[in-house]
Amino acid sequence: MTFRKLSITVSFAVFALYGGLILSLFYFYDGVLFFDTLRSSRTLFSIRLSLFTATVSTAIAVLVAIPSAYALSRFRFFGRQIIDTILELPMIISPVALGAVVLVFFNTPAGVLVQEHGIRFVFTVYGIFLAQFITTVGIAIRLIKAAMDEIPVRYEEVARTLGASPARAFMTVTLPLCKRGIIASSILTWAKALGEFGATITIAGSVAMKTETIPVAIFMRLASADVEGTVVLVLILIGIGLGILYGARLLTGKALPV
Amino acid sequence: MPVIELRNITGQVLNDVSLTVEDNEILALVGPNGAGKTTLLNVIAGLTEYRGEVLFDGRNMNGVPPHRRSVGYLFQDLALFPHISVADNIAYGLKVRGYPRSTIEKRVDELTEALHIGKLKDRFSYNLSGGEKQRVAIARAIAPFQKILLLDEPTASLDAQTAKYFRSELSALLRRLEITTVFVIHDLLGAEEMADRIAIIHRGCIEQVAAPKDVFFHPGTRVVSEFIGMPNILDCDECTILSTGLVEVRSGNMRVILPYEGNAIRKLAISPHDIYISDVKPPGPALNRYKGTITEIISMRTLVRAKVMVDGNELLAELSRESFDEMKLDVGSNVFIIIKLRRLRYFEV
Repeated sequence: MTFRKLSITVSFAVFALYGGLILSLFYFYDGVLFFDTLRSSRTLFSIRLSLFTATVSTAIAVLVAIPSAYALSRFRFFGRQIIDTILELPMIISPVALGAVVLVFFNTPAGVLVQEHGIRFVFTVYGIFLAQFITTVGIAIRLIKAAMDEIPVRYEEVARTLGASPARAFMTVTLPLCKRGIIASSILTWAKALGEFGATITIAGSVAMKTETIPVAIFMRLASADVEGTVVLVLILIGIGLGILYGARLLTGKALPV
Repeated sequence: MPVIELRNITGQVLNDVSLTVEDNEILALVGPNGAGKTTLLNVIAGLTEYRGEVLFDGRNMNGVPPHRRSVGYLFQDLALFPHISVADNIAYGLKVRGYPRSTIEKRVDELTEALHIGKLKDRFSYNLSGGEKQRVAIARAIAPFQKILLLDEPTASLDAQTAKYFRSELSALLRRLEITTVFVIHDLLGAEEMADRIAIIHRGCIEQVAAPKDVFFHPGTRVVSEFIGMPNILDCDECTILSTGLVEVRSGNMRVILPYEGNAIRKLAISPHDIYISDVKPPGPALNRYKGTITEIISMRTLVRAKVMVDGNELLAELSRESFDEMKLDVGSNVFIIIKLRRLRYFEV
């Protein structure tokens, strides 16, 4: 077998693994239950909540990620290595642990102050925003930094000699040039936020019609041994996720860096 | 108008560089790789840190960021913005400086016409040839009415013939627009074609700044002489016009014929690599062909330099090691030498 054939076979094997798992869901698929569940107010609320929180937390994460990624990509400064390492925290510790860290913080005097005089995060929708934000912002920075690293600094130098301030050079040259990368990073960040579970349930809990996102709803169905209900929600999540990723791929006209 | 003064510039490879570029002057920075040529351009543009002082028209530019220096810069890699059209590339500097739309359009038209790129305005950089990119990048660099222009190897991506034509065209344009220009070039002939003066830079130090002819005929230091190829300088004792456009110059007992239409030649410069050596009499006319005797052999890695006594003049000739070994030359060998007619440089009275 040639190397080409071997590599293509491996990629198909991975596809077969995921495809097989998705197909296995249909063993417990019940058409009537699917549409009943889809139309139920609780499911619709979960879908709306998931889409809304994932979009808002992604927007905040990307807004924070763009300047951070630019700094890490372009400048050498004290503490750069430490920041770079901390960004990997969501990747090396589980979301539940990350959520636990946030819960612990809200039990410290500083956390109590935030809860009582600022925004109440624990067991509220704001907790979902926070959970999704902390689990995705590091990844968003990483992905956007990778896109910015691809843009030669020389373009900014040219812009500077033509009279553009550093901010103007960034806005008119660097940002448009890595637009595709930022869009692709945003979509992946959004997908990650949509599927976020561990930190969300730890911080925001699982209050039906209040903080129950789709992943949390899936967990709640599974916990009560409702396999058919679980399958329906999983299929909805997969449908939304794949639909958005595929749509984004068509929109950007380029494969996402996954 | 802009006079560039560099005072005791030190930083990266640069070592106490002081240099003045006069108003509207075109100065070539020439030197080997790693000498600090591009670094010096970056210092003038404010793109790198340095110690010392940079003055434009007596105004100290230290601490002034690149976007407030009004210095156009053509980078060696050109770096045309790939996301916008040729016209938008050229207009970029004018837009960020807030010029009105009518001025921007007029300036873009004027420059695209001057550089013969009018038909390319709606194209993108990935659809342009090397020469077209070069022209667009120059138009972009000077578009925002810059009075100082820095060019890093402006003809590096062009073939020899196109480069020669482009240099003369560019030189005329810069003189017409009255732009003080500093350009980096590795080719001495190219520097001579464009520049009012040449600055030879070596290991971060300026070795000599002079008019091109002066560099060839009066190399200031051994380093400059080495860099320009250790030319043989012959003092001319007599100059006889043979026919229109052709003269015979006598130096000692040696007579050299060359194309020339002036009054009198004082010195001749002949590069060692423009002198052929042969152990047998070469065929063809005896024009600029002489008999001589090798007096010294200087062996280098891939080359051999031989000093040949010809009619009272000692000429340094250069040949490949392969040819040298093949001819089995030694001190005392009698050889024929031929001087390439078109490569002779002369210094007038």
